[in-house]
Amino acid sequence: MSAYKDKDARINGIKDQIRVVPNFPKPGIMFQDITTLLLKPKEFKDTIDMFVERYKGKNISVVAGIEARGFIFGPPIALAIGAKFVPLRKPKKLPGKVISEEYILEYGRDCLEMHVGAVESAERALVVDDLIATGGTLCAAINLLERVGAEVVECACVIELPDLKVCYVAKFSRQF
Amino acid sequence: MQPGFSILCFQASADLPFLVFYQRKGVMHAAASLLNSSNLSLRFASQTQTRLSPWIAAPSSVRLPLNRSQNYRIALPPLHSTVSGDSTQPQQMASADVKAQDPRIAGISSAIRVIPDFPKPGIMFQDITTLLLDTKAFRDTIDLFVERYKDKNISVVAGIEARGFIFGPPIALAIGAKFVPMRKPKKLPGEVISEEYSLEYGKDVMEMHVGAVQAGERALIVDDLVATGGTLSAAIRLLERVGVHVVECACVIELPELKGRERLGEKPLFVLVS
Repeated sequence: MSAYKDKDARINGIKDQIRVVPNFPKPGIMFQDITTLLLKPKEFKDTIDMFVERYKGKNISVVAGIEARGFIFGPPIALAIGAKFVPLRKPKKLPGKVISEEYILEYGRDCLEMHVGAVESAERALVVDDLIATGGTLCAAINLLERVGAEVVECACVIELPDLKVCYVAKFSRQF
Repeated sequence: MQPGFSILCFQASADLPFLVFYQRKGVMHAAASLLNSSNLSLRFASQTQTRLSPWIAAPSSVRLPLNRSQNYRIALPPLHSTVSGDSTQPQQMASADVKAQDPRIAGISSAIRVIPDFPKPGIMFQDITTLLLDTKAFRDTIDLFVERYKDKNISVVAGIEARGFIFGPPIALAIGAKFVPMRKPKKLPGEVISEEYSLEYGKDVMEMHVGAVQAGERALIVDDLVATGGTLSAAIRLLERVGVHVVECACVIELPELKGRERLGEKPLFVLVS
């Protein structure tokens, strides 16, 4: 569902600002660095605008952002569409009572947490991150939200890595 | 109780929160608790406790059962001191006049949740995640910063990982500045410059991408809270090392007793809630 491909002039401008850093965090990985996009006010704003245009008027009351780069894109979207922002964090960062979801990494496991009470049953939610690779983190986020009865309307990312297989088919919105 | 430390506690009616006044160093403070009056629990933290509202700082020998229900800050009206001694109230004077009177502040303050004993016993953690659930209060928070900075020719908003990433980008977008994340070590993929800084126990390192900012740019540093000022100081040093002029540091919350403002020295600090 790359709804915007070839149809929006802003896309190329956004794409051009993303820097690829070879061999980070380890040899063989071509890291997609969005920090260079953040240095360009117009392109950063265009990125947010494109998400906002898609999601305003969809009755979304929750934007959940995945630590830490989801914290950069999620809040501006939340503010613009009038939704609350819920940070999904690594273990032991959130101070209050949490629910946790474990997920698989390439080597080993990790855990994503959300505050109890942040989201109510039947709320409509958007999950935001800078990039989707295997989809493991997004799956954990979806599970967390669905466990408390929220409806995950869509996941939204700036970048998709097309060569990695998505392990769980949900509703994904891809910009590229 | 130690000499010079007196405490008065009253409750106007069964339905109202407890309002507690205490005198410390000759200054009258007040704090209120949203604790259920039928389950009276006041947490007395140690003398080194710095977050006074809505909890009371008192000798640690006095302990009552802790009510762990959600407790929120209360925006207190300016106090009229009726006790002897110094009637100045440093923490109120540290706030800018505009924000002390802005009607949006009360809603922002009351949306912040206080979590006792996090991340370790004795710390009263100021949790802004509840502010982010209040769409009006969150928008007001950003608006207050944007109104202050939009005409100040600021081209860089630097946000400190990770909660500075929540407040910084909306401000940057609204004022037309770029956003620069200041991160823990090994998170940024490109070439970085690093600045070491002291923690209570040990040291930590903050990093910024080389080339993110240019000499001569005017910058704002954003974080959710300023405590000792160590992290903000490291961010200031990082930016100044590459020739950037740090115009101001902006935080939602200040813990004035930890003297972060003093540690920043001449660098201005603007906070909404203290």
